[in-house]
Amino acid sequence: MAAAIAGRLTAAHVLEYPYRRSVGPVLGAFFTGLTERRVTGVKARDGRILVPPVEYDPDTGEAISEMVEVGPGGVVTTWAWVEKPRRKHPLDRPFAWALIRLDGAGSAMLHVVDAGSAAAMETGMRVRPRWKDEPEGNIRDIVCFEPE
Amino acid sequence: MAERCAVIGVGQTKHDVKRTDVSLPGLLREAVDRAFADAGVGWRDIDAVVIGKAPDMFEGTMMPELYLADALGAAGKPMLRVHTAGSVGGSTAIVAAQLVHAGIHERVLTVAYEKQSEGNAMWALTVRIPFQQAIVAGAGGYFAPLIRAYMRRSGAPEDTGIRVALKDRQNAAKNPYSHLVFPDVSYEMIAGSPMLWDPIRYMETCPSSDGACAMVLASEAAAKRARQAPAWVHGTAMRSEPTMFAGRDQVNPRAGRDCAAELYRKAGITDPRRDLDCAEIYVPFSWFEPMWMENLGFAPEGEGWKMTQEGATALDGDMPINPSGGVLSSNPIGASGMIRFAEAALQVRGLAGEHQVPGAERALGHAYGGGSQFFAMWIVGRARP
Repeated sequence: MAAAIAGRLTAAHVLEYPYRRSVGPVLGAFFTGLTERRVTGVKARDGRILVPPVEYDPDTGEAISEMVEVGPGGVVTTWAWVEKPRRKHPLDRPFAWALIRLDGAGSAMLHVVDAGSAAAMETGMRVRPRWKDEPEGNIRDIVCFEPE
Repeated sequence: MAERCAVIGVGQTKHDVKRTDVSLPGLLREAVDRAFADAGVGWRDIDAVVIGKAPDMFEGTMMPELYLADALGAAGKPMLRVHTAGSVGGSTAIVAAQLVHAGIHERVLTVAYEKQSEGNAMWALTVRIPFQQAIVAGAGGYFAPLIRAYMRRSGAPEDTGIRVALKDRQNAAKNPYSHLVFPDVSYEMIAGSPMLWDPIRYMETCPSSDGACAMVLASEAAAKRARQAPAWVHGTAMRSEPTMFAGRDQVNPRAGRDCAAELYRKAGITDPRRDLDCAEIYVPFSWFEPMWMENLGFAPEGEGWKMTQEGATALDGDMPINPSGGVLSSNPIGASGMIRFAEAALQVRGLAGEHQVPGAERALGHAYGGGSQFFAMWIVGRARP
């Protein structure tokens, strides 16, 4: 709340508003897979495996539903180092945001690499997921990726 | 001279309180796939996509048109988002029609939706500002005093709203896409339902729905190759006015009257009650039927309620209003206006099924939004204009 200024009324006004999502059958299967420590993608019409999965082919608009397991390891295709993590960042120590193409996938997925220092990061490096102890069907079930 | 524009495909979802079986893209695709099947077209036939929904905060998916582009086959195609609050389903269709009228595109896909289960629009419209009297609880809290004003001005019988709700709910039972269906609905059931915002009873108000509506609009050349009979666009009009200004008549808003006048001029309508065969109008609370009858010129000022009381607006009346069951029966907010436009098109194509008005030649689709301040309307006809 703003400090009261003499002669002026102030009041807190907190606007809170809940949302919930229906993820549908395709993303639903992806999130369910995470609870079993599996990462799944979908096979697009041109044969590419898209991870995370999408319900509709980005080239043709057709519905796609063939799920394919990928990973668990993969390759960093690009990255950005975060030297001073902020409060809501996924790790409390320096880390990399990275696009990671999991083995078998035709697209890269945004996640986090815990490599200790920027000097340990390299485009093309191999990484593997570190899983949460009790996965709950959420992308943060993968705590981060780490160098293989 | 504008190019002609026709509705060649219409699709809508099964509207329901919570469509948790589908994602947001999945909800839209249910409507789009049905519109494509109706039109006999596929993604390759679509030149542009025009999408509309109510404010983003209703679901908390910001700029959803970007996220939905792939699911709507819009990669590499023009995609346009329209924002006009509750009237958006109507104005989205009009923007899409303009792209065809202008000769820019052959076939335009237009889609509108709301997935109310992902948020809570009723309470989003109930912001309590410090040091101000809290007077509004949802849209009903805003509109109830306008209804009271209408009742006082017109001297309409107290049960006019009940009769509107009874008629719309009976019509809804004939529409397979309706969210709310009460098979044994009766006058007593509505009259006995709880008072929510006096004078609006529970059964005189619209539900919160998940749903989508899609249409394929086409040029004359493309309409000739359509799978089924098209509905030709005879005229479109949009008007807005500010929420507040001195002398504003919120019961019979100037923007609505002006919008209707422009629409009738464009479509060659001189007496709407005589010249039109049916209308799908935006009635989220029962009493808005008689109020809009006056605003739209179907009845003289102060006499709209007589049409309801005499049964003129029933499916077998001389001016059927909301044969589909209307917004009272399905209200995916952003889609609600487009459903009105699409249902008008189904009527003149002769494809409205059990709620078909026999021999409908010309029909009005109407949407309004905000505090009775945004209006969008079109007239579609069986005959090529």
